[in-house]
Amino acid sequence: MAAGPAVAGDLNGLLALGAVVAVAAAVAAAGRRVGIPSVPLYVLGGVLAGPSVAGAVGLPAIEPGELTTLAEVGVVLLLFFLGLEFSIDRLIAARRRLSGAAAVDLLVNFPVGVALGFLFGLGPLGAFLVGGIVYISSSAVITKSLVDLGWIADPEAEPVLGILVAEDLVVAVYLALAGALVVGGSPVDALPRIAVALGFLGAVALAAQLLAPRLAPLLGTSDEDVVVRTVAVALVVSGLALSVGASEAVAGFFVGVGVGATPLHDRVADRIAPLRDVFAVVFFAWVGLNTDVVAVAAVAVPVLVAAAVSGPAKVVSGTVGGRLYDLSPRRSLRTGLALVPRGEFSLIIAALATASPDPLISSVVPAFAVGYVLVMSFAGTVAMSEARRIERLVGLTPE
Amino acid sequence: MTVYESDLPGVGKKHEIELGGEERLVVVTHNTGKREVYRRADADADAEKLFELSDGLARTVGTVLEGAYFQPVATENIDTVLGGDALIEWYEVPEGSELAGETIAAADVRQRTGASIIAVEHDDEVTPNPDPGAGVRAGDTVVVIGSRAEVDAFNDAFIDPDAVGRSTDLGDAGGGPGAGDGDDADGGR
Repeated sequence: MAAGPAVAGDLNGLLALGAVVAVAAAVAAAGRRVGIPSVPLYVLGGVLAGPSVAGAVGLPAIEPGELTTLAEVGVVLLLFFLGLEFSIDRLIAARRRLSGAAAVDLLVNFPVGVALGFLFGLGPLGAFLVGGIVYISSSAVITKSLVDLGWIADPEAEPVLGILVAEDLVVAVYLALAGALVVGGSPVDALPRIAVALGFLGAVALAAQLLAPRLAPLLGTSDEDVVVRTVAVALVVSGLALSVGASEAVAGFFVGVGVGATPLHDRVADRIAPLRDVFAVVFFAWVGLNTDVVAVAAVAVPVLVAAAVSGPAKVVSGTVGGRLYDLSPRRSLRTGLALVPRGEFSLIIAALATASPDPLISSVVPAFAVGYVLVMSFAGTVAMSEARRIERLVGLTPE
Repeated sequence: MTVYESDLPGVGKKHEIELGGEERLVVVTHNTGKREVYRRADADADAEKLFELSDGLARTVGTVLEGAYFQPVATENIDTVLGGDALIEWYEVPEGSELAGETIAAADVRQRTGASIIAVEHDDEVTPNPDPGAGVRAGDTVVVIGSRAEVDAFNDAFIDPDAVGRSTDLGDAGGGPGAGDGDDADGGR
């Protein structure tokens, strides 16, 4: 595995990993002072350390290939945690109000993204991917902002977090489809792949549901056993998913659902969260390593057009969602503002797109996604912290 | 009085307690155990954060709020061991202390030491759960809660900077309930 003794100007795998994580951490620390969320900054760190910036100025650049597997671990753990927090019971309990709010969210934002994709000339598959990138809000960025700004104690926290949970379920199905479609060929060629991918994920989902009660004893009792065995299950299942052409991320999600249904839920969440944090940074930075700044600059106009259209679209759909939760107009508007940031899932779709044999999709869509996530996570965070001003602007003031 | 409970997926749980009128106390319990306590003046007002506590500290403060009886023990510094590493300690604020003449917030007590002031006694008047803006004067007695290290840090910062290896009759670090002279310091449970 080790790449042997380092040649001058060439980083061994360990040093490459360390350098990327260190740069990402430094950029995130710098950005946090001005209130920019960390997720896009980790990506930016990766961009700086990668071939397109460090390489271009003659510094030892880090090849993304070195970190691919570790980045995949990051994706699996990100989705594993979503699964862990995901509760079918909760979804059923909230279905009346949530299904309305979640449906509005999906039916407004996904088509807006698809239309943008067509507008940018990316074809049907490109439009499908841009649809996903534009539709899915960032659980990580939004949850953190809710806590930081204290909105977590306000009534809008329920619809916001509820819509995020519903999006998680949609993204699981979406990634399964997108993963099968991206590999190439006509949709008809993709049918068997879709069938295999959905079949495998169905089996994992069923196993998560049925085996959960028996899973807990198998995961052991000591913290060490629980962590090691849980990670083993998550990696084996997601690795198997990859090898049959299904999405490793979605498999990770269902393993999370299974473990989440056991009494070990809290302990696993507690012990594995630091692992997820580290590997998620590797993933975000890896997306950055793969990103060519020139390509991002080339899609600057589409990114800004997409931001100008899809930002307000989220605000509108979120506001309607808030109204469906019987919130006041002002609280509903906040629901909409809170849902604006896009982040990790849009990047996961971008990473997926790099596997496409179509050069238009494998280069333009990831560059678009990186630029779009940078803009939207920042704009969304600003929208939240400036909520009072925005409320006044549209004529809504607290009594 | 009604208490509303709701789930915060990915964050934890929220409890809202009616305080009378439209006012509510909102307690957000994070999955990490951290508790954040907010107050909301009415249904449309934004929640205003009052304070946050670690899991262990929250349980201890909860016990105090519950009205459990802690037996103060007469020693040089009166302290009460609550089990775990938490203890409550009484200090008289000396002249020249950085805390004398300051508000709790201005002295930055929580940030600097990790310990919290849960009551201030001025002459015979006791202010339980003082506002961070409340002032403390020399000669007041403050009641402090925290881990032993935090309470020691408080002592070093505000009461007696020269104290080295301060010893009291009650328990060495981690001394359990009933340590010292046999008084059940973990009273009321």
